[in-house]
Amino acid sequence: MTRSRWVVLGSSVVVTAGALLAMGAIYLSPARAAVGPMPAEGLILPADTRFVVGLDVRRFVQSELYATSEGRRAMRPQAFAELEERTGLNPERDLDQVVIAGGPSAASGRRHPGLVLVSGRFDRYKLSRAIETSGKGVTWKDHQGTTVYMFGEGRKGADAAAFLDDDTLLFGSQAAVEGTIASRAGGKAPLRANSTLMALLERVKPGSTFWMVGDQTLLSNLPQSVPAPGGSDGASLQLPAVQNLIVTGDLDPQIALDATADTADEAAARNLADVVRGLLALAALQGNQKPELKELASAVSVSTEVNQVHVNARIPHALFQSLQPKKTAESPGVAR
Amino acid sequence: MRDTSRPLPFGQAVRGVFDLALEGMVWSRRSLMMALLLGLPVAFGVLYRAVLVAKLPTQVTAADLYGVIVTVYIRFLVPLAALFYATALIADEVEGKTLTYLLTRPVQRAAILTGKFAACLATTLSLSLPSLVLTFFLLTTARGWGAVGASVPDLFRDMGVVALALLAYGALFTLLGVVLKRPMIPGLLFVFVWELVANLPGYLPRFTLTAYLRSLIRHRPPAEGFSEMFGQVLPAALCLEVLTALVIVFLGASVWIFSTREYVMEQ
Repeated sequence: MTRSRWVVLGSSVVVTAGALLAMGAIYLSPARAAVGPMPAEGLILPADTRFVVGLDVRRFVQSELYATSEGRRAMRPQAFAELEERTGLNPERDLDQVVIAGGPSAASGRRHPGLVLVSGRFDRYKLSRAIETSGKGVTWKDHQGTTVYMFGEGRKGADAAAFLDDDTLLFGSQAAVEGTIASRAGGKAPLRANSTLMALLERVKPGSTFWMVGDQTLLSNLPQSVPAPGGSDGASLQLPAVQNLIVTGDLDPQIALDATADTADEAAARNLADVVRGLLALAALQGNQKPELKELASAVSVSTEVNQVHVNARIPHALFQSLQPKKTAESPGVAR
Repeated sequence: MRDTSRPLPFGQAVRGVFDLALEGMVWSRRSLMMALLLGLPVAFGVLYRAVLVAKLPTQVTAADLYGVIVTVYIRFLVPLAALFYATALIADEVEGKTLTYLLTRPVQRAAILTGKFAACLATTLSLSLPSLVLTFFLLTTARGWGAVGASVPDLFRDMGVVALALLAYGALFTLLGVVLKRPMIPGLLFVFVWELVANLPGYLPRFTLTAYLRSLIRHRPPAEGFSEMFGQVLPAALCLEVLTALVIVFLGASVWIFSTREYVMEQ
């Protein structure tokens, strides 16, 4: 074999080995596989989930915004200290990700409060004891090899919590928690059957501090129309139906929010974009009374791409702080 | 005994030219230079693992750095590699005055160009893809294997786009090499000047290759107000169709021109 062929062969070996290693990272270690920003544990969520929200707690806590805001929350350190003493859990240090899932319950057809999946490092014994000794109607039982803690068992809408493993805690309604545990015990990934949500999750870039994806069910409670400004009595502006929504956000170096809404067609997308631009213009008009609103309106941009509407906001921290409600100044003591 | 009055069968001729051209391309100073150029991301990956991972803020993730490297790779390094090899396919033979000898062989001209282009593609792929794979693993495993799984689909996508970029740029620069006597300067102008048009708003980016290739990768900075006008993302299906069509057109034109053109060697 010639030298050149050896080089080409060597190169092919490197590429093939790399590809096999990459495939192995997904298939041999499913715990490390994920869909978009959602960890693999999230795949055990129910198939009828209609929206998923995620928060990267580590990125959130390490952000400059959190650091500067911490001083405003003087009462929180005390609460965190007490929590850590009782449970060994310091949310700022020990939590990695929080994933919230919600949607109509398949069994009852009613909207259930959702499931919350928390991943991090837990002192499982200390936390379990804290839950067991908290009193107030807390009971527990074994469900398919996992201890489920129930709050208000037997009562309508009872909640539950369970450790899926040393790194993952699950909260939600008792029925939803038990269903999720059953899926996990059976090695199933029910959320994969939800092709709509999976497709939305794959569109979210990993690495965002917070993100949300939802299908049209989530948005069905939104108003279908808004009153038309300046219109005659009863005149309203029909909002185009949004089929899916993806929102991602980061906090550093400024607050960056990106929302993408899928509509039925290009015309609906342009319509929706026009409505959003109109709302921004209205906000800007308030600039005389509140200059921050005018600044906020100019920090938001709206664009369309075929049937998608993209809303991007870039809000400096200073502007965000100025939009916060200000504490009223304490009145000075009356001079004697 | 083969009838020597008839040219070699096309496939056999292409293979013969491929073997000969590959030997001259891979094991050459040009390839050493290209290997160093295309290996820059690997060097950065090593530097990141050795020094930078502890110094960079945690908000700057390895996946972000990998995305930046891929963007620069596809925008600059891959086109340069294609330029240096593809323009030299015929130009080197003309400059070295060896084209006459090549054309007197009982080998169809189309087979000569096809074999050389295939060797060019094999060489550039052999230099670029391993670099990409090594850079990926160097960066994404810096903080453990937890982040690798999420980025693997991007690796496969990027490898495909790099291959497509080498094919597209290679076909274009092969055409330049066939048509022009000195194709290097126009090629450099194309890469560093014309391709900047991809950043303009409106319809002009569709006249560049970068706009289509960039739209196929997922690593893009977030669109920010005014600046989002300058980084159009085209539909993936359109990008694939256009790039495929361009490759066919450029290669077809190259083969036709090379087959019909009279090359007069300067004395």
